[in-house]
Amino acid sequence: MKKTLRSYFKVLSVLLLCALAVEASAQTVVTGTVRSSDDGLPLPGVSILVKSTLKGTSTLADGTYRLEVPSGESILVFSFVGYTTQETQVGNRSQINVVMAPDISQLGEVVVIGYGTQEQKDLTSAIATVKSEDIVKTPTAQAMQSLQGKVPGVQIVSSGAPGAAPTVRIRGVGSLESNAAPLYVVDGMFFDSIDFLNTSDIETISILKDAAASAIYGVRASNGVVLITTKGGGYNQAPKVTYDGYYGVQVAQNVLKLSNAEQFTEYALATGSAADASFIQNAFQRFGRSRINPNVPDVNTDWYNEVLQTAPMQNHAISVNGGNETTRYSVGVSYFQQDGLLRDTRNEYERLNFRTKLDFDVSDRLSIGGNINISNATQYNAENAVWFKTYFAVPILPVYDDQNTAATPFGLSNAQTLGYRGSQNPFYDLLYDDNRNKIGKFLANFHFDYDIIPQKLSFRSAYNYSFSNINVRNVDFEYSDGVTDFQSSIRRSHATSYDQIWDNYLTYKENFGLHSLTAVVGYSYRSETNEGLFARGTELDPFPDRSMEELWYLALADGIDEGGVGDFGSRIFGASYFTRLAYNYDDRYLLYGTFRRDGNNKFQQKWGNFFTIGAGWVLSEEEFFSMPNVDFLKIRGGWGQLGNDGVTAAVGAPTIAPRFLAIDDQRVPGNVVIPTFDFVDRWETTEELNVGVTSRMFKERLSLEADYFVRDTENAAVTIILPLIRDNVRRSVAGIRNSGFEMALNWSDKIGSDWNYSIGGNFATLNNEVLSLGGPQYLDAGSAEFRQRSIVGQPLQAFFGYETDGIFQNQAEITNSGYTSEFINDAGIEPGDFRYKDQNGDGVIDDADRVVLGSYLPDLTYGLNLSVSYKNIDLSANFQGQQGHSILNRKRGEIIFTTDTNIDAELATNLWTGEGTSNRYPSAAGLRKGWNQSMSDYFVEDGSYFRVQNIRVSYNLTGKEILGTPMPDTRITFTAERPLTFFNYNGFTPEVANGIDRQTYPIPAVYTLGLNIKF
Amino acid sequence: MMIMKKQPIRFLASLMAILMVAIAPMSCDSQLDEPLERQVLVEDTDYTQSENMFQLLTGAYELLYALQWETFPVVSVRGDDVNAAGDQFPLSETDEFRYDRSFWMYNSSWLNFYDDIIKFHAAMEELLRYKEFAPNPSEADQYIAEIKVMRAFEMLQLTRLWGGVLIPTSSQTAELYTTPVSTREEVLQHISDQMDEALDFLPNVRPNQRSDVRGGISRYTALAVKALANLELKDFQKVADATGEIIGSGAFNLDADFYELFKIPGKLSNENLLELQYSDFGQSSGENEAYLHAFFGPNNWTPAVAGSSGGWGFWEPSMKFIKFMLDRGETVRLETSVLFTRQGIELIQSDPAYATLPAFVSNTTRDGDIIGRTDSEPNPRAIFSSGKHYLPSNQLTPGRTAYGTNKNFIVIRYAEVLLMHAEALVNGANSAAMTADQAVNEVRARAGMTALNGVTLDNVLDEKFAEFGMEWGIRFYDLVRYDRTSELNHDGRTYSADDRFIPYPLAQLDILPQLGNNN
Repeated sequence: MKKTLRSYFKVLSVLLLCALAVEASAQTVVTGTVRSSDDGLPLPGVSILVKSTLKGTSTLADGTYRLEVPSGESILVFSFVGYTTQETQVGNRSQINVVMAPDISQLGEVVVIGYGTQEQKDLTSAIATVKSEDIVKTPTAQAMQSLQGKVPGVQIVSSGAPGAAPTVRIRGVGSLESNAAPLYVVDGMFFDSIDFLNTSDIETISILKDAAASAIYGVRASNGVVLITTKGGGYNQAPKVTYDGYYGVQVAQNVLKLSNAEQFTEYALATGSAADASFIQNAFQRFGRSRINPNVPDVNTDWYNEVLQTAPMQNHAISVNGGNETTRYSVGVSYFQQDGLLRDTRNEYERLNFRTKLDFDVSDRLSIGGNINISNATQYNAENAVWFKTYFAVPILPVYDDQNTAATPFGLSNAQTLGYRGSQNPFYDLLYDDNRNKIGKFLANFHFDYDIIPQKLSFRSAYNYSFSNINVRNVDFEYSDGVTDFQSSIRRSHATSYDQIWDNYLTYKENFGLHSLTAVVGYSYRSETNEGLFARGTELDPFPDRSMEELWYLALADGIDEGGVGDFGSRIFGASYFTRLAYNYDDRYLLYGTFRRDGNNKFQQKWGNFFTIGAGWVLSEEEFFSMPNVDFLKIRGGWGQLGNDGVTAAVGAPTIAPRFLAIDDQRVPGNVVIPTFDFVDRWETTEELNVGVTSRMFKERLSLEADYFVRDTENAAVTIILPLIRDNVRRSVAGIRNSGFEMALNWSDKIGSDWNYSIGGNFATLNNEVLSLGGPQYLDAGSAEFRQRSIVGQPLQAFFGYETDGIFQNQAEITNSGYTSEFINDAGIEPGDFRYKDQNGDGVIDDADRVVLGSYLPDLTYGLNLSVSYKNIDLSANFQGQQGHSILNRKRGEIIFTTDTNIDAELATNLWTGEGTSNRYPSAAGLRKGWNQSMSDYFVEDGSYFRVQNIRVSYNLTGKEILGTPMPDTRITFTAERPLTFFNYNGFTPEVANGIDRQTYPIPAVYTLGLNIKF
Repeated sequence: MMIMKKQPIRFLASLMAILMVAIAPMSCDSQLDEPLERQVLVEDTDYTQSENMFQLLTGAYELLYALQWETFPVVSVRGDDVNAAGDQFPLSETDEFRYDRSFWMYNSSWLNFYDDIIKFHAAMEELLRYKEFAPNPSEADQYIAEIKVMRAFEMLQLTRLWGGVLIPTSSQTAELYTTPVSTREEVLQHISDQMDEALDFLPNVRPNQRSDVRGGISRYTALAVKALANLELKDFQKVADATGEIIGSGAFNLDADFYELFKIPGKLSNENLLELQYSDFGQSSGENEAYLHAFFGPNNWTPAVAGSSGGWGFWEPSMKFIKFMLDRGETVRLETSVLFTRQGIELIQSDPAYATLPAFVSNTTRDGDIIGRTDSEPNPRAIFSSGKHYLPSNQLTPGRTAYGTNKNFIVIRYAEVLLMHAEALVNGANSAAMTADQAVNEVRARAGMTALNGVTLDNVLDEKFAEFGMEWGIRFYDLVRYDRTSELNHDGRTYSADDRFIPYPLAQLDILPQLGNNN
């Protein structure tokens, strides 16, 4: 600690000396115009810098500029986004006109990295950047959703519920706690999620995939880091007002077909259950017989059809950007609104965002800026149980039932009136629940940049503050289902958090000869505070209903649930010293290293060091390099250390548990010493090795990025079983490896002057493996009925059970199965039952025959994109898919607990009904036997899918006139998001974050019409 | 200096910037020592507060008394005295000697015992720390000795079930990953040695004479556990010595009323050496410490006190036991051991040899509870229930309804000491305390049976069968000890030599691979 401070001062004093060596000299004036080589039109906003100084300006709206330069020796650097940067020596010229060519390569592009920027060509690590125009193509409330299929190694698992954030996994799962979510850094502030941002507020998203890139974020970096830069203005830019918006509808896709009344009746009777047959009889009596098929009750409810609706979604954003010679600004307001797919309940999300970003130069050495982002959202969550009940409700039950007069306030039907165990009708949850979250977020950032030595040494201080408030109100109404009366209740919770980060760092840049060096050294302070209250009350007076929302208060509850009242809070501090060095020799050899020393008050382990080192070799710059058609080729590699402080700290010690016992009929206290305790005194640490290739070929029309990585996590917190004692404890003992190969290829070109096109593809493989568990060879997860197991050498929390080998078609097959006759007899195996593989060949199916059945993590993720533009018409299409992940069809599995429910149509129509009828599904009676309900690959299905992710057509109107007045640049866009998904899984969606499909919200297709106007 | 003059403001700004960078860390880093919010730190125990030692002792008794319902059946189900009734697959399979290492009950029973044992160690370790400061260190020694007896009793159950097991030596379980499995003989010897260590620190009284923990452990409990371990080891002289000392003390006598011994009047009887205590504290509601006796209760009955709950009907005396008792002309012991249903009585009578039965064989108990269904329908589970675990509804505290509330659970009683003594003597051991005939006849006299002369091992084992039916698997462990296992092949069961021990639970094998096939 002391040592670090001392060396810190040493660096500073050297830099201080450098600061004094500044001089001034004579000036001349240069003017000129900058035009585009595309169309010869003037280019406004082109940045012009005197090389190696901070002196510079930008072109005006007419493309002209005026600049004082120190001498004829000076070199002017012209740069503009999307164009190749040009350099020219002034010499004795006083007018310099420049024609700039569009840059189709992105090598010169500036990439946002931790505490600074770097040029694409200088990178030694795996960083992927996604820009605004790609982000806004996806109609969604969630910016991360737009990355699906675009960045290899980033798995996005969509969520269909309004306002819900997708699950984001960068290079697999290396932690079992806090969802292994990446760190989001929004303009310098740390977040766990960016669900509060509007997609139109974002300029770029940079994903720091490997350790070399993310290690500068130290103890927060282990699950990957996502850097978000919000939109800002530009120098010398006339105010530009932009409206961007769309309106669309969401349509539930791949709606699961459940058995209709006829299929269900047939199935229920085939189970041989007298009870189920009597329920059908009861339905005949209550609702009559169908006139078409008198053996079926005269009700045929398609429950999904009853609860689903097409739902609108819209987004409107207005922004104003601009700037003059010393000021840049950007102001925006946006509104997003999304209805949910469930009808007859409040199920929607609405968000209003305001943002302001302002930067101005106080002097040519000092600039000050700040930005503020305010986000206010209201989210109504439908009761999740609706999905569950809709699946299971029997089709011989109507939604409303006039005969169920005791049901109030609405005459909903109740399956109990037919004899079923539960009421089944999902409308109870739709009509009598209201769950509201109000989410307010306020993010502010203030910073100043000071050039201590122009062009060489600068200092930046940035203070970030974030305040968030989550207000939850869940109300259950009072109702009766005709059998049971349910009392009303209200639960409210209020959680606020205040986070701040203060970064101070120096950046030093030096060029000498062919060497160039960038060094950063800094300090960051972080504090995170959160606190909250919650309370629950029962029996509201008056009864709550939707017309009297103003009376939904705890104060009007007759009873307060004592156990339901409480509070919570936490305060976490962090301090970090960090440095980064980037060295470049002749654009051929690249060296890169970062170091971060992180301290916190969360764990016993107070301080940790995180190193990384990277190197790159640009072969294409070597003289010997002569590969035809290869314009640029770089081999790069990096190794680094990362931490994950997202795990819950626990430093236990033996505790005393007070107990009571009876001695001689007297109640006596006793103390039991509990010698076991959780012990998580450290963060999880990850080491990652990444090697990659970057190449541009065929006149930079083809680009290639490929990476291979091995990412090992140590000290992962897991719950372990101790020998001989019942209490399980959390310990930092597990090792997890994620490894994989990622590749992205893109080709873009133009044909003639009217046609532009590009085609690209990417894929990523992932191999997730448990390396160690601190002694035991496995750890169980999931429930006893649906076992998941982390086994050393296998993926984390893999599904674990029997492997089926078809269905026993007849008695002879059973006899010859290889099972012992004693076992066949004991287990009561009959034709129509599963044949499980006897893995160890002992003639008995038992625990020893269970094997790993699959993992919820995909082996392969891939994406394809196409875009074509012809004159004013742009067409783009994105496709993406995943292979090799498994989904536990927990809906089918629910029959273990409740037998008297509906089943899906695929199952009902393909049940085994006699020899040769099915080799996949057991008989109707068999479905209800314990033998067939054991965890097996019958429940674990392949979740692989291919999806048409996004199709977008837009028409641009530029330079047009309406009634003689010039019309603003306008773009009209039609987007189809996720119109088609192909998969074999027997469920709504193949995207299930944890692989367990019990009540997953369906993921809708979205069709939107969009308008973009630039005034 | 020139530069300074020209750009003094810039220089100051630079200096300030640098100072900020430098100073900020120093002021902020101290916050890393801030404690976490809402984390109650475990305060260091004040070991000079010797009075707290007593609560560590009562805490250990709480562990001993908190016997989970599945443990006793796993220990006891395999004898020919009892059948597993009901729908617990693992239990009925075990009863028929079909074991599966995945049966949850095995793992649960294993953990019930070992979890107590590890926590006993933790308590003993704490007591040792108190002892240093205790004004009366012998108090700590006595408490530790009592806990040693509890630990030994549970170790005995473990080795009875699994044969070779691990002997923990402290509350820290990490070392167990490499601890080798001790053989059954080593475990039993360890139990015997532990009791020798404990003996001198324990009070020389009958448990119900103790004033601090009435009904707690005394020197005689330790001697009885020592005798049990040595009986398993067939070290008969040690059995004779230990039981002889208990008999010679004159502290114990058989309860005159065998029927009531297992009911409320028998709580803390002079006959009991170890007894799990429960109570509803005489209150009609509120606090209640109870064993889950419902497991044993008939799942259909008409109680004398209306509203009293029945049980699960899981514990059914075997037809073999009943006929054995009838053959011997047993009266009070049969009446006390078995609750008959009408259907059960009819089944006994369907054998012409038992067409006429004594009057006490009735579906109405002495206390007026009617057992089982009274109509002609079959009983869904057991047709007989355990009378040893029966509490008549008229003995329930008014207001309490749960089966067996307020009833204690007897573990070791003087009758077992007497019969172990006899067993040792007929196996050739010597004793001055009592002869084998005297010991057996004392037990028989209480049961209203005539005296025997020149008892043999057969006589002793029969006597134990008659005396201890449904209790702690005593019968099963007797039979396997003498290899008389053909007795176990009753009602379609087949016992084979490798059925003596149940398999190690799979979950334990996974953590402790050294268990292997050691049992």
